[in-house]
Amino acid sequence: MMDAMAELTAERGYGATKIADVVARAGVARKTLYDNFAGKEELFLAAFEAAATEAREAVKAACAEAGEGEARVEAGLAALLGFLAAHPSQARMCMVEALSASAVTSARYEAMLHEFVELLRGSAPPALGRPPTLAETLAGGVAWILQQRIRNDEAEAVGALFPELSGFVLSPYRGIGKPGC
Amino acid sequence: MNRLPRGRHGLSPEYVAQNQRERLIAGLTEVLYEVGYQKTTVSLIGRRAAVSKSDFYKHFQSKDECFYAAYDSAIERIRERVGSACSRHGDDAWPPRVRDALSSLLTALAADPPLATISLVEGLRAGPGVYDRYQAALESFVGCLREGAPPAPDGAEVPRATDEAIVGGIASLLGRRVLAGEAAELAQLVPQVIEFALTPYLGTEEARRIVSGG
Repeated sequence: MMDAMAELTAERGYGATKIADVVARAGVARKTLYDNFAGKEELFLAAFEAAATEAREAVKAACAEAGEGEARVEAGLAALLGFLAAHPSQARMCMVEALSASAVTSARYEAMLHEFVELLRGSAPPALGRPPTLAETLAGGVAWILQQRIRNDEAEAVGALFPELSGFVLSPYRGIGKPGC
Repeated sequence: MNRLPRGRHGLSPEYVAQNQRERLIAGLTEVLYEVGYQKTTVSLIGRRAAVSKSDFYKHFQSKDECFYAAYDSAIERIRERVGSACSRHGDDAWPPRVRDALSSLLTALAADPPLATISLVEGLRAGPGVYDRYQAALESFVGCLREGAPPAPDGAEVPRATDEAIVGGIASLLGRRVLAGEAAELAQLVPQVIEFALTPYLGTEEARRIVSGG
C-alpha cells in the first residue's frame, strides 16, 4: 500500500491521488487499507517515513564505512544520490509532493531536511570559524538542485551530479586561503 | 493599502479597480502570513482587504489566481530592492555588488515578514503554479550572481550547479528561519550568507575581507 501511494503521488500528484486508486494499485481491499491507516494523509506519511528512513540509514551506513573527513561526506552524498536514482517514486514523494501535500507533510519534509543537516554537520570535516549556518545552507542547496531534477523526472540521472555537488559541499570546509572550489 | 472614501468620491472606475486589486494582493499576503496557504480563503482575503466577495471575483477567478498575482508582486518588490543595490556598482565590482545585493535582500525581507513568507516559504509549498514562479525567481538571482563573476581561485570556471546551489541554499536557509518565526532576525545572517555566496569564487580569506567591508 505504501509503494502504491508513492507511485501514484509521483505519477499524478498528491491531490489527484484517490484512496480507490491506491487500493486498486496495491491489490488490497478498501477495508484492509482503513484497518491500517486512518486515511490518505496518514498513508502518505507512513510511506514518506519509510522512504526517508531507508535513505537516511543508507547514508549513515555509507558514512560509517568511509571513515573520516572528506571521504565520509562524499560517501554519504553518493549513497543519497544512489537511493534517489534507484527509487524515483519515493524521491518525488519525499522531495516534491511532501512540500505541497499538506501542512503536516511539509513540516515532516522540514524535519527530514533537518536530519540531513545534522548528518552533514556530524560527518563534515571540522568547520572551525565557518558560519554556523553552513551545513544548513549546503544541505538546502543540494536539496534545491535535486528537487529541480526530480521534478523534471530526471531522478534516475541524479548520480551524474555527484562531482559538482561534492565540490559544492566540500569546498567551504577546505582550508582558509586555499582554492575554494 | 488605503480604503477609498465611502459614497460619491469622483474617482475613476479604473482607479477604484486598481486600488481594489492592490488591496486584495496586500490582503492575501497578510492573511497568508498569519494562517498559511491552506487556511487562506477568499472570504478572509476579502475581509482583510475590505472588498466584497463578488468584487474579488471581478479581479481573480480563484484564490490561486490572486495568490499568483501576489507572488509576482512580492518578487517584483524584492527585485527592485536588490536591483537598486546592484546598480550602485559598475560591472567590474562583482564582490561588493553581490555583498550589497544580499545585504539589501535580507534587510528587505527582515523588515517585512509577510513578504518573506510568501516569497520564501510558500513558493515551494503552494503547488506547481507557484513553484514555477519560485524557480524563475531563483533562476533570475542565479543570473545576477553569474554576471561578471570571476573564475574560482584555482582558475577553473565555477560550475553552473554551484551557482544554483548557492542561491537555492540561501533561499532554503532563509525559508527555514521564516518558517520558524524568525523573519525579523534575518538581517543577522547577512555576514554568513555573503561569506557563503562569495567563497566558491574568491576563497574564504578574500570572501571574509569583502564581508568586513573591503
